[in-house]
Amino acid sequence: MIPLITGILGVITAATILVLIRRDHLHARYGLWWMGAAFAFALLGIFPWVFDELAVYLGVAYAPVLALMLAIILLVLKILVMDLERSRNQVKINRLVQRIGLLENDLRALQKMRGNEPGPYGRDELQD
Amino acid sequence: MNSLRSPGSGRKIPRTIVIIPAHNEASDIGRVIAEVREVTAFPVVVVDDASSDDTRELARSAGAIVIPLSVQLGAWGAIQAGLRYALSRNFEYAVTMDADGQHKAGSLPAMMQPILEKRADISIGCCTRRGSRLRKLAWGLMKGVSGLTPDDLTSGFRVYDRRAIKALAGREATLLEYQDVGVLFMLQREGLNIEDVEVEMPPRNSGISRIFHSWTSVGFYMAYTLLLSLTKRQRKARL
Repeated sequence: MIPLITGILGVITAATILVLIRRDHLHARYGLWWMGAAFAFALLGIFPWVFDELAVYLGVAYAPVLALMLAIILLVLKILVMDLERSRNQVKINRLVQRIGLLENDLRALQKMRGNEPGPYGRDELQD
Repeated sequence: MNSLRSPGSGRKIPRTIVIIPAHNEASDIGRVIAEVREVTAFPVVVVDDASSDDTRELARSAGAIVIPLSVQLGAWGAIQAGLRYALSRNFEYAVTMDADGQHKAGSLPAMMQPILEKRADISIGCCTRRGSRLRKLAWGLMKGVSGLTPDDLTSGFRVYDRRAIKALAGREATLLEYQDVGVLFMLQREGLNIEDVEVEMPPRNSGISRIFHSWTSVGFYMAYTLLLSLTKRQRKARL
């Protein structure tokens, strides 16, 4: 019974990922990771003996511990990769904000030169 | 050198810009700009760090160029925007100073001297007498771990030459949070010379230090800085 439930959970997860990508809620490049996770989830749910065999091969006495350990390692790696991406994105955002400020100053100077009143820039348009 | 009013002062002062990062400094910004303009003829750039008060308008009416940031980036993010402006306009030197009145424009001639005499690429306005025991403890710890030698590692009152401006305007420096140890490590790696200049720093007119105002922020700052010091420290400090 349990293999069936975990197998179904894996298939549901995979289907959810596909729907999220289809609706543009999830970037396809991140979808790849989650599809892999869903696939592994379903496979190991349906064929739990794979882990039992692997545990024997690796000398782990209690197979579920091996599964949990691998899951934790993969999750930590995933979170580390996410923080690396966050750092890269933060640099991009900061430089863009600086560049917009520099361009806004240039634009204001140009508008003043042409005798136009500089455009009304809302103070917080990028805060949202 | 008593004055930095280059036009007609006899001595030719290379193109220099004064960068003032400001976040909600409406109460002081006008006076700080006026003080700078009394001492120098340098253009003043105020980088408005997404203030919600009238800092931007007051800076403009005081005669400053204003670079308005639409999202608050913190003091270093604002200073870097100013350095990018300086680089794009081919300024030779950039002065960075606070908007809260702590850094006196009257110290600028003394601070420019090591740069103009080519003794240093960066000068830091130091005031080691200032500060609480907490700040002094932080300085001691940071100097010990980082191996850096400037007396006042956290001072934002600095003069940078063109090489320093170029290094600090780059993408790599955008990752930094503060204008202190991380910036100094970058300058050290570029082989630039830093000189301390003792200056007066009266208590700030208003507001509080962005770092040394609570144990939580000091804790984060110290942990961040120590991690940076441990990871970026070079085998032989050249400063």
